Amino acid sequence: MDYLLHIFIVSLIYAIFAMSLNLELGFTGLYNFGHVAFFGIGAYTSALLSLAGHPVTLGMVCSMIVSGGMGALLAIPALRLTGDYFGIATLSFGEITRLFFLNERWLTKGPMGLPGIPRPTWIGEGVAGLPWFLIFCMLLTLVVFILTRHLTRSPFGRALKVVREDEYVAQALGKNALSFKIRAVTVGSILAGLAGSLWAHYISYISPADFTLTETILVLLCVVLGGRGTNWGPILGAFVIIFFQEIIRFLPIPADFDRFVAPIQGMVYGAVLIILMLKRPEGLLQEYKE
Amino acid sequence: MEYYAQLLLNGIIAGSIYALFAVGLTMVYGVFRFINFAHGELIAWGAYLALFFTRSPFYLPIYFAALPALLITALIGLAQDRFVFEPLRHGNRITLLIASIGLSYFLRNAIRLIWGSDLQTYGFMPTRGIDLAGLSITSAQITMMAAAILFLGILYIILAHTMLGKSLRAVADNMTLAQIMGITIKKVSLAVWVLASFFSAVGGVLLAVDTNLEPMMGLTNLLKAFAAVLLGGAGNVWGALLGGLIIGVAENLSVAFISPGYKDFISFALIILMLLFRPKGIFGILGGVR
Repeated sequence: MDYLLHIFIVSLIYAIFAMSLNLELGFTGLYNFGHVAFFGIGAYTSALLSLAGHPVTLGMVCSMIVSGGMGALLAIPALRLTGDYFGIATLSFGEITRLFFLNERWLTKGPMGLPGIPRPTWIGEGVAGLPWFLIFCMLLTLVVFILTRHLTRSPFGRALKVVREDEYVAQALGKNALSFKIRAVTVGSILAGLAGSLWAHYISYISPADFTLTETILVLLCVVLGGRGTNWGPILGAFVIIFFQEIIRFLPIPADFDRFVAPIQGMVYGAVLIILMLKRPEGLLQEYKE
Repeated sequence: MEYYAQLLLNGIIAGSIYALFAVGLTMVYGVFRFINFAHGELIAWGAYLALFFTRSPFYLPIYFAALPALLITALIGLAQDRFVFEPLRHGNRITLLIASIGLSYFLRNAIRLIWGSDLQTYGFMPTRGIDLAGLSITSAQITMMAAAILFLGILYIILAHTMLGKSLRAVADNMTLAQIMGITIKKVSLAVWVLASFFSAVGGVLLAVDTNLEPMMGLTNLLKAFAAVLLGGAGNVWGALLGGLIIGVAENLSVAFISPGYKDFISFALIILMLLFRPKGIFGILGGVR
């Protein structure tokens, strides 16, 4: 039962993470291949602040501010060019952020990571706090869902879609494409920071190994599988992927084969991404186009 | 002073390897106008396949082991195009890029599955450097330099003095026009993928001779190849060559000023700087010397 709660909490955190990526990838058409960096920045900000004795709420708010700020800082140079270059810049940003976590021992304790990150006081530690943490995550997921739905249905969201379909049309209509893209990345990074700080407070231990390309692929898969550019898609994708990932643990795998499990899982993720792109690029839920 | 000269020498050696990675990446971009995020895995597969042929039941010396490794890597490169990129070439760009990042993840995990995640080497004993006018250079490094010069020379002859090179440049310039003039795209695309995989694999083996093999080597070196390609201007083969050298030298000289943990940071900083100030590469002013 507790394990089921755990799966639900992780799925919800990934749902928030996926919704934040969907805003960039699905609605604005920006290939962000280093989105995990903002998840990591959020996690570390929140963890460091709460470990220094500040309230968890403050940590979570600050993590959103720091992630959003970093997102804007990256987006301003990286978005001056379209298309593939943004993918390159974000991919390398993701790697560099991981290097930063790994090397700045005075701040992040390097590869040892940060243990003992507290949960919000009203939730309580250990298994007893799980139902409350689930409710907390559900509330936040709901808020993020309503926010992104509102955002993408507003004139702002429609402008993002125009930018995605054809930047020149957007510009001809008097929309500053660059500014729209920067705002999309900033909001996406803020939400990724929120997901990251939730992750840190839930798992209570973070290290640079938690924020690698694997997590980027995982969240990319959530968005693409669920359906890019839809509001429900990332949530559906996150639940499918996380349940799949957790169910593998229950398969009767002989101990000798343990070391093969993670690579095979990775190959499956990669293969699913390729096959989806070849056979059903729109994902499970198709974007509604008027 | 000698210290800096030594760093410069190391940088040139590393840079000539990066140049080998970058020419393939930039050639694929020049012809197909997309950035292959799975390019790094060709580097890693080349190195690992050579490892495979130096061990039981083959026990080939490294120079002979490299031959079948190069051939198989070229086949992987062709398979990439045949099964993933060719079907997606005329679709949406975002599907192509997501498929290529999925493919890179698939190939990387296949390496982890077959060869494990640990650091490995070809098993050479580290040799003492030969003294060369106060600078130290190992025999492995001399081999690397010689091989890099040899292969880049071969590339020069192919591109500048053969019909294949001419048609390659024609297709890169304008694919439709080249087709009208009777150039078979199939042949050119075959040549591009074989050359790109071949050069990455050569670079991968040479790099692994001097350092070691690990599943992440593809990603790390992909970022350097990206930086080199951007420095030279995307699609510009000679620019990529020079870009690779610059990255190698900059990285090695940086060791004198910043912590070695941040060596990879240099290529990232260069990527961002280039995107900001000279998106067309340092030769952009000349309109791209192809």
